Amino acid sequence: MEDALNEAASRVPDYVLRPVDGTYRRLNPTTKLVIAFSAALVAFGVRGWTGPLVVLAIVVATAAVTRIGRAMRPFVLATIPLIASILLVNTFLYPGAEDVLLRVGPFAATGTGLTEALQASLRVVAFALSVAVFSLTTPTDDLLVDLERRGVGRRGVFVIGSAIRTIPRMVERAGEIVEAQRARGLDTEGSPLRRIRGILPLAGPMILGAVTDVEERTVALEARAFSAPAQRTVIRPIPDSPAQRAVRWSAGLGAAGLVALGIAGILRFP
Amino acid sequence: MSGMFSTRVIALMPVAIAINIVLGAIVQQYLKLPIYLDSIGTILVGVLAGPIPGAITGVLSNLIWQYAPVIGGGTIGPFAITAGVIGLLAGLWGWLGVYRPRPASGTQLLLSALVGAALVILVVLPIINNPAYTNPDIGGYPDWVYTAAIAIAAIAAVVVAAFIYVRRDLAGLWVAGAGIITGIIAAFVSAPIAAIAFGGVTGSGTDLLVAALRQGGADVLSASLGQGLFSDPIDKTITSFVVFIVLAGVSVRVLARFPLGERLTGGRSA
Repeated sequence: MEDALNEAASRVPDYVLRPVDGTYRRLNPTTKLVIAFSAALVAFGVRGWTGPLVVLAIVVATAAVTRIGRAMRPFVLATIPLIASILLVNTFLYPGAEDVLLRVGPFAATGTGLTEALQASLRVVAFALSVAVFSLTTPTDDLLVDLERRGVGRRGVFVIGSAIRTIPRMVERAGEIVEAQRARGLDTEGSPLRRIRGILPLAGPMILGAVTDVEERTVALEARAFSAPAQRTVIRPIPDSPAQRAVRWSAGLGAAGLVALGIAGILRFP
Repeated sequence: MSGMFSTRVIALMPVAIAINIVLGAIVQQYLKLPIYLDSIGTILVGVLAGPIPGAITGVLSNLIWQYAPVIGGGTIGPFAITAGVIGLLAGLWGWLGVYRPRPASGTQLLLSALVGAALVILVVLPIINNPAYTNPDIGGYPDWVYTAAIAIAAIAAVVVAAFIYVRRDLAGLWVAGAGIITGIIAAFVSAPIAAIAFGGVTGSGTDLLVAALRQGGADVLSASLGQGLFSDPIDKTITSFVVFIVLAGVSVRVLARFPLGERLTGGRSA
């Protein structure tokens, strides 16, 4: 299978293939997806310091190799409110902790709480960065094309791709709806009760518009033989290799195994 | 092609996913209330197309929101399980015809309105009577929280009863019941996920509630569960009502073409 793919890929001109540079970026998108999921599994599933730290190290190394350090900054910044919340709530309010470090008013910061807080924060950062690495090195189109070739099916690929593309349009539509409702006297600032009452005037037209849109989309899809049973020809085959397959299987099974062993209590890391 | 994954359903799902993500992001960033409103699309697909499309919509919404480089949701990924369960339940309610209009009048209507109000109070009562709120020995919990909770419960009961009575429609009672049950189940599914993955907090406004419960002496899992049992039933009930009101405004012709459309239209002619 891979030979046929690679052979086909070698015959397609470059401006169609859109090859990317960089060893990591050139990997098959499914490989990158499996790595991202395995990293997330290890970051959350392996308790203690080791799991998240290892994932963090791998992710930072990958980011350095692919030179996406600067682009990752928004992802890191987005985790700050969550980390602040984790640190505060768990350090000061960890149930059952006795080793008090310092007292601030009625609250006591405990060592156990702080340890848990730091571990949880590490988990969140490792997870967020692995998501960032995946998002920044994998064009959505490539991923969807590859998934379709692997059997996700044209309907699944359409749902994911169309959802991602519909989001900006939906944001615009939400803005338009809010503007229109405000022109009709909707109050968008003020007390929480006012704000709750503003939900229906926003969600209502949005959903109604969406449900009626579905008719048009259905007709458009059917007109393009969406439900035809024949398999589509892939014009941009994305190369794969046995080495990558090995990496995928070992990463996936390894991550699942580590978590399972951790849960069973057989294998514990500090 | 017919069946639960007809072209129409496949055209609906990306739109529903986009609605979930956009409304969820708006609520998270602007409304700052202890609700999420990121399941409107999930419940919509569940009611129109069945449990499995609903579940898939929920799971994909969470994964896409987490992994797609658009409005990056910081911690929503692991809650894909909850979203799947919500979709399954919505499909069940749709199949049972919960969202079908049921015109009524007279005593039956009045009785249903009272039952609806009683249902709301019955659900809120165990939450309010949680020792973390009422026991003066545990933590320094201010009295106004208890009063505020009772006030919110009273308002909610009146709103539900008025909805049933003014619209002369028994469906309000069923929708409220479906929303409350879905919310409770969602809370039980989410609490372990929040506790294991994030130490019980999620970086949103609900964390204040978690902190308060922990200060009252609850452990990590109970605090997450306590917060969930407060936010989720409210959120899912509001969502269910929004879906019900919107679907009541869609023409029978459009509804009837969906797999579960027949169960939505009942005796309506247009």
